[in-house]
Amino acid sequence: MTSDTATGARVLVVDDAATVRLYHTTLLGGAGFAVNEAANGLEAVEAALGTDFDLFVVDVNMPKMNGYACVEALRSDTVGSDAPVVMISTEDRPGDADRAYQAGANLYLVKPVAGDRLVRVATMLTAGKDDVA
Amino acid sequence: MNPLLAQFLAEANDLLAQVDEGLLQLERDPGDPELVNEVFRAAHTFKGSSGLFDFPELTRLTHAAEDLLDAVRGGRLALDSGMTDDLLASFDLIRGWLAHVTTHERLPSGAGSDAAGLITRLRAPLGGEAAPSAPSAAGPAVLVDTAPDWLAYLDAEWLTETAGWLSTTGSTLRFLWYTPDTDCFFRAEDPLHLIRQLPALDRLSVVQPGTWPAVQEYDEYTCMLSFLVVTRASLGELNHLFRYVTDQIEIVELDADAITRHLSGEPPLRAEEVMTVAVTPVIDTEMAADARSVLHAAHRALTMDGVVTEGTRIRSVRHAVAAAARSLGVPVDLGAAGPAELLTAIDLLAGEAAPAPVAIAPVPAAPPRAEERVESRADDPGGQVGTRVLKVDQEKVDRLMELVGELNVAKNGLTFLAASAEEEFGSRALSRRIKDQYAGLHRIAEELQSAVMDVRMLPLSVAFSRFPRLVRDLSRRLGKNIELVTEGGDTMADKDVIEALGDPLVHLVRNSLDHGIETPDERSLRGKSHTARLTLTAVADGDAVIVEVSDDGRGVDPDRVKHKAYEKGLISEEELETLSDVDAVDLVFRPGFSTADQVSDLSGRGVGMDAVRASVEKLGGAVTMRSKLGQGTSTRLRLPLSMAVTQVMVVSVAGQRFGIPVDLVVETVKVPAGGMGRVLHQDVVMMRGEVVPVIDLARALDMPWSLPETADRPILVVSVNGQRVGLLVEQFHREVDVILKPMEGLLAYADEFSGTALLGDGLVLLVLNMKEVLGLAARVA
Amino acid sequence: MPLELHEETANLVGVVTVDEVEQLVGWLRTAKRPRVALRRCNHLHTGALQALLLFRPKISSAPADAFLAAQVLPLLAGGGGPAKPGSESP
Repeated sequence: MTSDTATGARVLVVDDAATVRLYHTTLLGGAGFAVNEAANGLEAVEAALGTDFDLFVVDVNMPKMNGYACVEALRSDTVGSDAPVVMISTEDRPGDADRAYQAGANLYLVKPVAGDRLVRVATMLTAGKDDVA
Repeated sequence: MNPLLAQFLAEANDLLAQVDEGLLQLERDPGDPELVNEVFRAAHTFKGSSGLFDFPELTRLTHAAEDLLDAVRGGRLALDSGMTDDLLASFDLIRGWLAHVTTHERLPSGAGSDAAGLITRLRAPLGGEAAPSAPSAAGPAVLVDTAPDWLAYLDAEWLTETAGWLSTTGSTLRFLWYTPDTDCFFRAEDPLHLIRQLPALDRLSVVQPGTWPAVQEYDEYTCMLSFLVVTRASLGELNHLFRYVTDQIEIVELDADAITRHLSGEPPLRAEEVMTVAVTPVIDTEMAADARSVLHAAHRALTMDGVVTEGTRIRSVRHAVAAAARSLGVPVDLGAAGPAELLTAIDLLAGEAAPAPVAIAPVPAAPPRAEERVESRADDPGGQVGTRVLKVDQEKVDRLMELVGELNVAKNGLTFLAASAEEEFGSRALSRRIKDQYAGLHRIAEELQSAVMDVRMLPLSVAFSRFPRLVRDLSRRLGKNIELVTEGGDTMADKDVIEALGDPLVHLVRNSLDHGIETPDERSLRGKSHTARLTLTAVADGDAVIVEVSDDGRGVDPDRVKHKAYEKGLISEEELETLSDVDAVDLVFRPGFSTADQVSDLSGRGVGMDAVRASVEKLGGAVTMRSKLGQGTSTRLRLPLSMAVTQVMVVSVAGQRFGIPVDLVVETVKVPAGGMGRVLHQDVVMMRGEVVPVIDLARALDMPWSLPETADRPILVVSVNGQRVGLLVEQFHREVDVILKPMEGLLAYADEFSGTALLGDGLVLLVLNMKEVLGLAARVA
Repeated sequence: MPLELHEETANLVGVVTVDEVEQLVGWLRTAKRPRVALRRCNHLHTGALQALLLFRPKISSAPADAFLAAQVLPLLAGGGGPAKPGSESP
């Protein structure tokens, strides 16, 4: 496991839009997180199989494997990650957030997420992550 | 430009191409769900990414397009050509905006009004309703969607009341946050005096410091107050009144929605609550709001129907709740807490974090339709597949090519050095060693050059990509049925060649659509299929690429062409009789010729086939046309695969040097003054039994110069259009490899030059366009 | 004279400018149970308002001036309005 401060915590940013990915990685990278990227759910699952991430920031609408399916896969026995998942979507429709929680997400935010908020949430969710079994 | 915007523009380019192509395919195959999904996804990604920038019109327009496509995707709408037109027009508008963004980093000023009509049209098939998630989207641009956090200094009751009133009346209020500089009293500023002059003051909140200094330490000349002013005064009035303290104020205009959102998001900070909240730094307030969101999500995740509360899911909820608790300053030990314990902890923590309206707001159950749609998204097929290709800015490659050019130039400098080593310093050995060095450098430079040129190679499909759209639009306008076929799109050529091909190809395709291809009625009269066929083909041929535009239209009538050319005085009566059919067809490339009896608004805009030939020849290529009356026409462009490096022969006239493409040069001769002949006012020279006309280059270029009567005549023999012509010059120089750059500025319209190149000694060389020079000479004579 | 200062009562008259602020603060520091009459006050300089907010004297008469009466008096008479989050605990 990585250190228990925000700095050094490992985040996987999953989004098919390269611009959004760059935005999120720049923000989080700038705040001291070690950031990896994936362009769709499949890539994310592959990445999570090889690395223990401390946080996932996942877009909802993606090709190949969408965000919900991706989070479900992350929570499945195959990957078995219990790290916090923040889902970020452009949609703000009733039911979408519940769908995210059902898949196993821990927070549902609507795009665009203000930069300081993303960093704040990421910092909160990764701080002292080793305390709980 | 900031890297994020640069990334967005690059991504947008790909998305636009994807949308265009998808829509056109979709029109042909409206039922294809994968295609719909692909186009929808592109529009969706566009909208999402555009939201990161201050481009509200772009977001709104892509949102409208996305909603329409979503309806098509969900089967609620059938895509018709009118909708396709509107969608294409929307993305065309966006393309224009992005070009503006590329140079100005903002949308053009008229973007809002340009988009408004399209948005209405896009929304019309959906019943014209606005998107539910963008209720304030149609508001004026000055409106701020999110209330600033200082709005918390107004009490919630008043805000609720005000929001109700604003909502009923559809109006807005201006909110001003005024934080006077602490030393403002010394500058004779009196904030309160400023505020009392404000007309239509609705609400004033004076915000005091969270901690007052001790009475003994209180400095009466330090301003510690901030002011929150709510007013119905216009922005103009506000700006005028506060014009001397602009750096101390912040003004936002809010509507009912923004205030309501503010009210439901963060806890209002009422006067009575001041004492408790005052000790908490601002960042913590926001942190608390985030913590509440996390707790709310956890609560929902534990209580929703059919949710899994074991394994990784419950563990992640434990993590999240513990994290939220820690950030609220009340760490909890959740151990192996189960759902029930977690819920208790959440309730406790929620109390700690002050009641958040978000947490208690009932979440409406998902309507079944939304659920179905979500389901159908789960097994999303397709989308674009990421490739392991490095995207390089075109400018960087151009820069690389320039450097290669400069390297070539520097390399060529060594030959000068070798010559002067021998001539000036009399050292043959040194000259040879320099030449050896040159040879080694030359080899490396050549390899580097071909490597860079390889990077510059693009598939012809890039040049072809605009035609599906063009053919579709034009054929609809002309009422013709046309099937476009492209072949050999993967043939590679230098990007400059591809770019330069664009205009000639457009012209040829338009010409074919306009004049070549018949209307469906005419076609069936002639026993042809209703749908005409237009083919774009590319094939590589050695170091050239051949691009052919062919149609199965009515073809060119050689007799009609000949008569027309004769009427226009382009050919003589004798030629009218004797010209072969093939040569007759070639007449269409003559300047001043147009095959159509009426000039159409499509292809007849002052440029003819002569312009096509001229521009292709300027690239060092050739155009030929073959046609069979009644069966079709085929126009063939032959272009060099690469036009980056050209070998030129350097000659000088009147003290100035010019370059002539080496592949035109036949030989160089020096003819004694007496060896020149004259036939019909034309200087000629006899070479191996052939009479070769000789042109005085200086005269053709209108440069004052003449050789001494008795001097030998240096003559450069070139072959242009299969004809040999001698050029009288002052002196021959060497052959050099140069990077030809297109003419710029004042010389851009000087057709006698095909470009400029930098020489090893730093001089700029003008490279001659021989055809034009010969034309000039003919006119001067 | 905008300030009429007595042992425990003060009368603010006309426009109280920045020049009166020091004197007002000095009086507020020493007066045991200060009472301030605002009836004839037409304007308070921000510095004077700030001083009144810090020392919180009893307001013995409401200002006749509409702006002061509507917008400023409630601050002095009531809870004093919201406060900025400070950086340390009180």
